[in-house]
Amino acid sequence: MNSLMLLNVAWVALRVNLLRSILTMLGIIIGVAAVIIMLALGSGARYEVDQQIKNLGGNVFIVFSRMRFMGGAQQGGTGQSLTEMDALAIENQIPQVTVAAPMVQSSGQVIYGNLNWAPSILGVDNKIYQAQSWSLAEGRTFTETELSSAGRVAVIGQTVKRELFGASDPLGQTVRINKVPVTIIGVLNGKGQNTQGNDQDDIVFMPIDTVRKRISGITLSSPKAVRSIVVQVASDRDMPLVEQELDALLRQRLRTTANDPPFRIRNLSEMVETRAQTMQIFNGLLAAVASVSLLVGGIGIMNIMLVSVTERTREIGLRMAVGARPADILRQFLIEAVLLCALGGALGLTLALGTTWAVEHFLGYTAIIEPQVVLMSIGFSALIGVFFGYYPARKASRLQPIEALRYE
Amino acid sequence: MQNAVMATLKVEKHYRMGEQVLKALKGVSVGIGQGDFVAVMGPSGSGKSTFMNMLGCLDSPSSGQILLKGTDVTRMSAAELATVRNRHIGFVFQQFNLLPRTTALDNVMLPLLYTAMPRAQARERARHCLELVGLGKRLDHHPSQLSGGQQQRVAIARALVNEPDIILADEPTGALDTETGLEIMALFQQLHQQGKTLVLVTHEPDIAAFASRQLVFRDGLLLTDRQSSPLDAQQALADFRQHRLAEALK
Repeated sequence: MNSLMLLNVAWVALRVNLLRSILTMLGIIIGVAAVIIMLALGSGARYEVDQQIKNLGGNVFIVFSRMRFMGGAQQGGTGQSLTEMDALAIENQIPQVTVAAPMVQSSGQVIYGNLNWAPSILGVDNKIYQAQSWSLAEGRTFTETELSSAGRVAVIGQTVKRELFGASDPLGQTVRINKVPVTIIGVLNGKGQNTQGNDQDDIVFMPIDTVRKRISGITLSSPKAVRSIVVQVASDRDMPLVEQELDALLRQRLRTTANDPPFRIRNLSEMVETRAQTMQIFNGLLAAVASVSLLVGGIGIMNIMLVSVTERTREIGLRMAVGARPADILRQFLIEAVLLCALGGALGLTLALGTTWAVEHFLGYTAIIEPQVVLMSIGFSALIGVFFGYYPARKASRLQPIEALRYE
Repeated sequence: MQNAVMATLKVEKHYRMGEQVLKALKGVSVGIGQGDFVAVMGPSGSGKSTFMNMLGCLDSPSSGQILLKGTDVTRMSAAELATVRNRHIGFVFQQFNLLPRTTALDNVMLPLLYTAMPRAQARERARHCLELVGLGKRLDHHPSQLSGGQQQRVAIARALVNEPDIILADEPTGALDTETGLEIMALFQQLHQQGKTLVLVTHEPDIAAFASRQLVFRDGLLLTDRQSSPLDAQQALADFRQHRLAEALK
């Protein structure tokens, strides 16, 4: 009896007990669907992370100022240790650095008409566009005069534009930021959320001096103090080297040899990676739980196959009487179990496709079903069929023909 | 015995029932010749069913030999025995043992599916056998759509389809009413006249009378082996119908 005929026999047998076959498959269906969905969400998260690293520029350090202590007493102001001169020095003295953009940060209410909004207010110069891969959707960047004279101008992110201006054109409009009238000269292209779920578009860029002098209203340790410096490196291969050089240069400039220097060098893509890895472990765990459901499904298959063998004892006896060898019977029941599992796998795949579609469209997650996952899950469920179908099939093949024929 | 299609030589079959050993067959030697129509009789427990299982290569003896056209089959493996049954033996059972939800044609084809025969040829062969037993117009019927007699005819067609050397029928009329039973016996006689070798087990002497040779078993031994001129089943069927008609008119 060839395989095609066996497949047909198996198909007929499964169709005869349609409800039972479907219920049996349910375990496999759910297991396969769960595994595929988990892996799809994992791949989706991975993709998001990669996108974000691309957004950040995979080759970016952020150097943060920290409180500076001297003789046990905190130096005046906010105690920011880094200055714009440090940024210039980084850019000029480390050849692998393409750009080092200084940044100060403040917060405040942005008021337009009767609307107000509280985004992050960042004091920057025009280097920030390159350093953080920003681009303008409309308008222009700061002029030299605006930068040097603390001009009352701002470039806003997409979220700020949406919240304050809706569909109308913000260019040329004047908003009040901490009571200072500021003209909007540009709008950034959107970046969306980062992996932490923070909205990256909820920002306002202003000339660095404007924020220092007009917005934040905090006395600084130095007139040129900055909160952070965004350092872009030409190639990610140079990242370890640049990190060392940054550390050495800043220690020299700040005259410190302390184990705990008054600055912190952060590699953003590393931070994202770490988070992503945690997430992947979590996803892996969920996939493992889903595989347990596959295992349970497999046991269900074995159970039903045993029932099926018992029910069809006379049929087995007859087949043996008319010439089926034990190997023929073994194959017949094995193929039935494999078919049951493979169908379950296919249905599980369909369910997974539907679910990931729904998750993408209604919950906004990225889910990516990779082709090898599809093949693997179907193959794996067929393997479960072989594994859990073997014992019942062997039991059937070892029946004695006369006893099987007499079975009531 | 040398020219026998099947022969048993001092066949014994012992079953262990706890402490006791039950001797179902205590040394039976008998040959079934080419073209014989043999009825095997005996009360239950006489060993006739065990004997049939031996002839059918469904069970192996505790001692002695079973020869199929001179070849000893007693030492064969389960797979080899399956092949022997497939090529040389046709079975007819009391309960027909047709596959449910499977057409008559597919049921008859079943033994051929375990051979290398191409499907088209197997189908043609099965159709021919169904025509032979008078069911040429019922090829696509499922067993549940057929009467008991028709089901048994399908089973007989299935027994014929691999052109066996010997057909074994175990109480083939046991589940049928008298008239249908007579029809089946007429069919067997027809097959016998075409040269088939038939062995049928029955406990009804009326049925055994249609065979040309009777083997009677008792207590695991072959008690009687006699030839007789068989009754004509066709005639018996006609008589039965006449009688029933007379009864109805009365």
